[in-house]
Amino acid sequence: MPVSKADLLQGTLDLLILKTLALGPLHGWAVSKRIQQMSKDILTVNQGSLYPALYRLEDRGWIAGAEGESAEGRRIKLYKLTAAGWRQLADELDTWKSFSAGINRVIKAV
Amino acid sequence: MDAEMRYHLECEAAEYVRQGSAPDEARRRAAREFGGLEALKEDARDARGGRPLEDLVLDLRYAARVLRHNPWFTIAAVLTFALGIGAASAIFSVVYGVLVRPLPYAHADRLVVLWERHLPRSKDQNVVSVDNFEAWRDSARAFDGMVAVVPRPVTLIEGGAPERVTGAEISPGYFDLLGVAPARGREFTSADAAPGAADVVILSDGYWRRRFGGDPSVVGRALSVGGRPHTIVGIMPNVEPPRFGWLGEQPLWFPFVATNENRAWGRFLLVIARLRPEATLGQARAEMLAIADRRSREAAANEGWSATVTPLARQITGDVRTSLIVLLGAVSLLLLMAVTNVATLMLSLTRRRARELAMRRAIGATDSRLFRQLFTQSALLGAIGGAVGLLTAAPGVRLLVMLLPPDVPRVDSIRLDTPVLLAASGIAVLATIAFGTVAAIRGRSSAALAASSQGEGRISPRTGGGTLVAVEIALGLALSLMAMLMARSFIALRAVDLGFSSEGVVVARVGLPGDRYRSGASQRAFFTALLERVRALPGVESASVISARPLGGLGPATSVSDPREPAVPASQAPVVDVRFAEAAYFRTLGIRSSRGTTFDERDDGDGPPQAVISESMARTLWPDQDPVGRELHIVINGGITATIVGVVGDVHLMDARTSSRPAVYLSASRFPSEQRDLVVRAGGTPEAIVPSLRAAAAALSPGLPLYQVTTLPHLVSTSLAADRFATILLGAFALVAVALAAVGIVGVFSADVAHRRKEIGVRLALGARSSGIVFILLRQSLARAVVGVIAGAAMALLLARSMGSMLFGVRATDPISLVTVAAVLLGVAVCATLVPAIHAIRQSPLTVLRGDS
Repeated sequence: MPVSKADLLQGTLDLLILKTLALGPLHGWAVSKRIQQMSKDILTVNQGSLYPALYRLEDRGWIAGAEGESAEGRRIKLYKLTAAGWRQLADELDTWKSFSAGINRVIKAV
Repeated sequence: MDAEMRYHLECEAAEYVRQGSAPDEARRRAAREFGGLEALKEDARDARGGRPLEDLVLDLRYAARVLRHNPWFTIAAVLTFALGIGAASAIFSVVYGVLVRPLPYAHADRLVVLWERHLPRSKDQNVVSVDNFEAWRDSARAFDGMVAVVPRPVTLIEGGAPERVTGAEISPGYFDLLGVAPARGREFTSADAAPGAADVVILSDGYWRRRFGGDPSVVGRALSVGGRPHTIVGIMPNVEPPRFGWLGEQPLWFPFVATNENRAWGRFLLVIARLRPEATLGQARAEMLAIADRRSREAAANEGWSATVTPLARQITGDVRTSLIVLLGAVSLLLLMAVTNVATLMLSLTRRRARELAMRRAIGATDSRLFRQLFTQSALLGAIGGAVGLLTAAPGVRLLVMLLPPDVPRVDSIRLDTPVLLAASGIAVLATIAFGTVAAIRGRSSAALAASSQGEGRISPRTGGGTLVAVEIALGLALSLMAMLMARSFIALRAVDLGFSSEGVVVARVGLPGDRYRSGASQRAFFTALLERVRALPGVESASVISARPLGGLGPATSVSDPREPAVPASQAPVVDVRFAEAAYFRTLGIRSSRGTTFDERDDGDGPPQAVISESMARTLWPDQDPVGRELHIVINGGITATIVGVVGDVHLMDARTSSRPAVYLSASRFPSEQRDLVVRAGGTPEAIVPSLRAAAAALSPGLPLYQVTTLPHLVSTSLAADRFATILLGAFALVAVALAAVGIVGVFSADVAHRRKEIGVRLALGARSSGIVFILLRQSLARAVVGVIAGAAMALLLARSMGSMLFGVRATDPISLVTVAAVLLGVAVCATLVPAIHAIRQSPLTVLRGDS
């Protein structure tokens, strides 16, 4: 288990969740696991941040919860992207790209 | 959410197992990493939009739990609040029905009543003469309609026994002005009001249903009125006609016909007008003043007369207005008091739970969260109490209507309907917000205090109870003062010497049908015979007749003068009440005879008429002289000169409140009339004599009814009904208020003392004397009470001023009342303090110091 990293950059968690769910519906634990795997354990999502974020995104209509079944046959809540979620993902990606490009320029200039 | 998070934990644990941990260890580790499940849920809920609603549900559940676990508190708070809301709603519905609800007429806000105004006597509302009514109607531009109405007592002979009712004569266009169309038939036209027109009549809905069973074919049929057939031309819908002055129920209407005869009667018309839509009341007043001013110069009869304009709604409401507004003010105080008490109760509950609240804070509840939680509790309480209160308002209104004095207008319009219920609910919500906010703010700070001091060991500053106590005392004092003043006024009214003795006296009105008793001689003969028969009845001590019995409202009055004195201008001559009485009248009513004798019944036409005058009249015309034997000029029947044969004591002809006016009595047999009031003094129960009185009248003239049959004690009691009503209601309010104050003070103080048990224990252990401790507690409580008394006295004096016109024989600033109620309230405060204080010092200091609770 990787050591808890400093808080994710403000606002990036939404982007990460949306991106993760773009690959297919997942339940809460799987979302955090997937982020961890995809980032090669650099990013870990604290449960304390994950669930409020999931509920917030759901409330805004970007993701939707649906009933699903786990491998063991238990009823679980699966999250997937909505149409608005796809648009939001595109927006956030653009924002992130220009943001990181800006940061990169600053860092390289020094 | 719970399932989701638990599943997360299980997945996490499974993951650790896969990584090689033992299952137990894995679960522990997962739980550790996950953090507080509940806190997480809170955060997650926060992120979601439905948060406030979800909180509300939680808070409501929590509040319901708290209320359920404190049943006595809940019952006390709900009942207190329900009492306040119920009383306020009931009074409000009466006030709304009588004062606020629009009159059932089209353009009711534009309807006004026009009066003549007698400047020398500063009598603002005098009835109107026919000439002036016609002049006003023809020249005033501010109105688009003006009608006259005058009561007309008639005897109806339809089917069985004759019936005596008081209808009204109305000028054509009366109902059109009110905007009420006949349900059947038509309204009077100007042709109906022309002299010599055929006799016609319009029936009220009530009379039509009562007498004709609602038969629509009666229109066009004849109705015998006073022995003459009248054609029924219309039936009105069930709309109450305006009632003011001496207008009564009005079961039927006749056209008012202006004749030379009634032009000479003087002033007797009631006039209603409708303002033009664009005209203001001020313009109408100015115009009426100008017209009256012009007319006062045109005719001698109008000298000294002006005119006034009063909105119809205000006119109908009349004197009741002040007392209803005072009652509304009083019930508002009571409601405030109930709100204060509920806040006090809530506060003491919160204080008892201060540790729990402190704990909630410690584990992360924010201040605003605590506030909401406490407020929700109040809101739930307010909703229950308010609902109970509104439910009790309906029987409350019925009770009030039953208690209402008989002269209150528009009782039919008193009901609990949408506007009233909306207003009452609004009041309940506002009241809930008031006590909820107070309780929540105070409660939160007491939680903060408990948190900081970790319990109740320390001598704590007061937590707001003091202010509430002062408020309770102030409100209780204000209400008690109002009740006290009203009670003193009522006692003073009852103690007024009316000038006659009412015990055992029956009164009844006799109206002879005009067709059978047209001549004065036949009327005189009838009443002589009637009195002979009545006096012969067993049980009758004395009997007589008079033109209008005491307590019968306004009667005729006119100006008098001493013919030997130089003539004074008519406008400055004293005005006295005139009554026509039979010789035995004074003895029958027990009116004191101070000089001379009564009428000589053999005086039947020759020589000057005899007059008996009242003491105050003797003083007015002949101070310090014996008036017996003198002559008196009376402006009546074109002016007569009477010889004074006796002087009798003053009698309150109107009611106890109106001071007795000078009066002159003339012989009833010298001036016969078809209508007289029979007065009979009978021993024992006066009601028992009534059947034989009816029989005596019917024996003389078959079918002749007695009406308005009642007893003088009943009339005396009725004349005090309005004062009794206000006294009972204010008294009840004051009693409840003092009880609430006592309960509230005990509540606050018990909590205070409980809070200071350790301090008291320490003091006792260190050797303080119990009397000293009681003294300290008492001093603290009295300090608050004195603040309340001072504030209450200031408020009470302001409020009492508004009820000045209701009071009789006692001033609004009456010091005795003020000192008495202040003493009572202080006494209540002391007693309410002593109970918990004595309880506190009774306990052994050891128990207190050792034990934690």
